[in-house]
Amino acid sequence: MTEPILSVRDLSIMYTTGRKTGVTAAADVSFDLYPGQSMALVGESGCGKTTLGLGLLRLLPRLGKVSSGEIVYRFKDGMSLDILRLGKEDLRKFRWHEAAMVFQGAMNSFNPVLRIGEHFTDTLRSHEGGERRLTRADIAERAAELLRMVRLEPARVLRSFPHELSGGMKQRILIALALALEPQVLVLDEPTTALDILTQRSIVEQLHELRERLGFAMVFITHDLGLAAELADRVATMYAGRIIETGTAEDVFYEPRHPYTVGLIKAVPPVVGDLPELSSIPGSPPSLADLPSGCSFHPRCGYVRDECTGTRPELTVLTERALDEGHAAACLRAGEIEYTRKVVASA
Amino acid sequence: MSDQALSPTAKAPPPSPPPRPPGSGSLIGRVWRAYAFRRFRRAVLVVFIVTNAGFFLMRAMPGDPVDVLAGQISQRGVSPVEARALAIQSLAFDPDAPIWKQWWEYFSGLATGDMGTSVTQVGVPVSDVILKVLPWTLFSVGAGVTIAITLGLLLGMLMAYRRNSRVDHALSLIASVMGAIPNYLIAIALVTLGSTVFGVIDFLKMRGRYSQGVEIGFNLEFIGDALYHGILPIATYTLATVGTWMLVMKAATTEVLGDDYVTVARARGLTDKRIALTYVGRNAVLPLVPQVAIALATVIGGAILVEQVLAYEGLGLLTLESVNNRDYFVLQGVLVIGTSVVVFTNWIADLVYGRLDPRVRVSDVEVTS
Repeated sequence: MTEPILSVRDLSIMYTTGRKTGVTAAADVSFDLYPGQSMALVGESGCGKTTLGLGLLRLLPRLGKVSSGEIVYRFKDGMSLDILRLGKEDLRKFRWHEAAMVFQGAMNSFNPVLRIGEHFTDTLRSHEGGERRLTRADIAERAAELLRMVRLEPARVLRSFPHELSGGMKQRILIALALALEPQVLVLDEPTTALDILTQRSIVEQLHELRERLGFAMVFITHDLGLAAELADRVATMYAGRIIETGTAEDVFYEPRHPYTVGLIKAVPPVVGDLPELSSIPGSPPSLADLPSGCSFHPRCGYVRDECTGTRPELTVLTERALDEGHAAACLRAGEIEYTRKVVASA
Repeated sequence: MSDQALSPTAKAPPPSPPPRPPGSGSLIGRVWRAYAFRRFRRAVLVVFIVTNAGFFLMRAMPGDPVDVLAGQISQRGVSPVEARALAIQSLAFDPDAPIWKQWWEYFSGLATGDMGTSVTQVGVPVSDVILKVLPWTLFSVGAGVTIAITLGLLLGMLMAYRRNSRVDHALSLIASVMGAIPNYLIAIALVTLGSTVFGVIDFLKMRGRYSQGVEIGFNLEFIGDALYHGILPIATYTLATVGTWMLVMKAATTEVLGDDYVTVARARGLTDKRIALTYVGRNAVLPLVPQVAIALATVIGGAILVEQVLAYEGLGLLTLESVNNRDYFVLQGVLVIGTSVVVFTNWIADLVYGRLDPRVRVSDVEVTS
């Protein structure tokens, strides 16, 4: 029985805004990520996806705090780390070595005054341990190997400053850099958002390929459902800081059971086939500081009933499956929602 | 750089290439367009304009060196008319000549490095007068500005890292207050509070540039003495400018701390020290580098009052005296030297900026077109 590599339990993250008020950007989030698995977190802007991603590596901005919950990382040999209790130095070593992150907008992910090569040097040097010190040649060789994995020409790239490279190149370099220490978990926060569609395509393909080759697990944060369908084994939909539906990509996209997921899917036009009627979800996401009572989605929901305003539905398993891949939704009427659509897979 | 820019096979370009690539044209043309030389030309122009302003403003002021000298001479019991004649005789220039002639004489001399002779210290070359005081001002202002910048950058970074803490609030308050007090008031406060309230400063001993009887030269006694006398002006310049540097650095650091690459650096597991120095510090300092030259100019200007308060005979005091005595040539000399120092610092700051920020220096990765 495989153990999950990353277990998140009831994780809540707060941003303190004023004297006492706080905003809960992620609430009671739980999931297990298994080795080599790829999980997509989808949802509208501001639903807490990025906060959750940052929280996994304890990279929250100054005002953000994990208010409750647990994040456990398991090594292959069964040893486990309680991420939220790690000391400063242990946390530093954990980051990038075990779990790396590719950020939204790689445009600004590099120090403008350092050459790309120095970014690799910094990263490898910060984590070198053991008896052998890395030589310059070791580092250059490793960096070149990584850059070739993302199909860049190492000699030129390593000598360049960030401003001399295009957005797509920087994104690829960041992916290469993220893989430098062979992390077991890779968090990708909208890695293709700011790129043109061809560059997006090639980055997605490279991610596919790298994952097959290196076998890391992936948390893929995106609002692009097409990408999620393509890259993810599992999908979790987030709304107002909570996971409201989770399941295999097939379950969630072919048989969504939460009205919000249905709405998201309906809002995306298919690339192939007849154009069905597109619909957007009425209203806009609620302010996290002032959530509606009961189910946070009820003011925008077409299936709303009286009890939706009173009690918040828990995430309930609808279909049992192994490895925490069961289909679950947080909706009182999950059983009644039937949505079928001929999805033409783009891959 | 290739030498084949003018190879015979190259077709003549269409007649619209004013921004010619570097490395083309004659040697003189290349030097003329070279960055360093462009800067030099501009520096000369700045010095020329400032000196001209000084030249005409001095002459536009009421009173001239003849009045001042005649006044001094007539105190020895000479009749005013005779005193005036004597004064004109002792001058190395003709004060009644048309202004364009005076202008030509002065600037043609200046072009050969001759700044004329002092009016008050009759016959002494201006360069000697200035050289006697310049090192003292450079020393005290330079030390004060250096200490202020070093301290300001460190404290500013500390404030940004600990923002909204008690340390930050306390330092911000101090910095704002210090930044608002004019430097001569700080000098006065140092002297009065230091000698009366705290009793740590013996102004009678510390005033001036060095103690009487100490031989000027490269010996320990003199250096120690010069440092001792330098304490007050250096402390004044430091206190007067450190607050601004702290606040500016705090703002710059705060901004950089919010930049993505700092978060990414933390994610990459770099050590705090590496992040603070190379990722935060270096980027935060960048926008401040050009301000160093401006700060230096302000401090040199402020030296006029500070040196007066502390009886520190430097460039500032000399400026004041030469204005009072209508010593045209010394004042113009001071302007030439003072402006040159500031322009030179500006140039150094630009070079440093180019070293620190690769985005402003010409790429050394060959661009193939």
